[in-house]
Amino acid sequence: MKPICLPATLDSLDEIGKYVVAATTEAGLDTKAAYGMRLAVDEIATNIITHGYEEAGRSGEINLSGVLSDSSLTMVLEDTGIPFDPRSQAAPDEDDLCLPLEERSIGGLGIFLVLKGVDDFSYEYAEGRNRNILVAKRPLVVNG
Amino acid sequence: MAFDAKLAMTDSIAKITLTGSLDASSAPRFKEVIEQAAVQSPTRLVLLMKDLEFLASAGLRVLIFAKQKMGAKVDIYVVGSQGPVLGTLEMSGFHHSVYIQDTYADA
Repeated sequence: MKPICLPATLDSLDEIGKYVVAATTEAGLDTKAAYGMRLAVDEIATNIITHGYEEAGRSGEINLSGVLSDSSLTMVLEDTGIPFDPRSQAAPDEDDLCLPLEERSIGGLGIFLVLKGVDDFSYEYAEGRNRNILVAKRPLVVNG
Repeated sequence: MAFDAKLAMTDSIAKITLTGSLDASSAPRFKEVIEQAAVQSPTRLVLLMKDLEFLASAGLRVLIFAKQKMGAKVDIYVVGSQGPVLGTLEMSGFHHSVYIQDTYADA
């Protein structure tokens, strides 16, 4: 799919969502996998916008691309915000998830949903760019 | 679909109808409506979510905020949530703390 480049603002989340829906539809993902990918990309984009740019007093853009192979859909988000590895946030563990809401911490839910939503997630920082890579396996197509 | 949150107060029960996509761009609007409800000291918060099609962690954080703002004694009901949105609530453990129902009949 043709990559898109959007301003790193929360207003771009809607466009990002539409791009992911188009990619997951083209990939033939089932409802659960398609939603998981949309949610994961939304969470990563939100992290980039808030932590990578806004809190750092920066402005910039997010590049989003979707690559289809026979076996998977890979979504890649690239940005030039401050280096930020989403995996540095502690995701809630089983005990945290059972706590009453009034005792819950608000941190870590985003990365928790990312890791639950896709089959593989990785992050790298190179040449001044953050790269977040999310992979969903495509359903097997049996020929003949 | 664009997000919307509509508040209706009836006999100290706050009902909020949520539609569309609830993520970081729309969560401030949801939080605003929660605050409007909280100042009226409701005894119960009912979230009608049949037409909420997308729920990200920013929306979950507002639910945590609602519980902390209104107090542990104010029960939260999530009504009509289905599919992946319901899956997100359950995966995140929110079903331990809110009442999840298909429909809501006024008591």
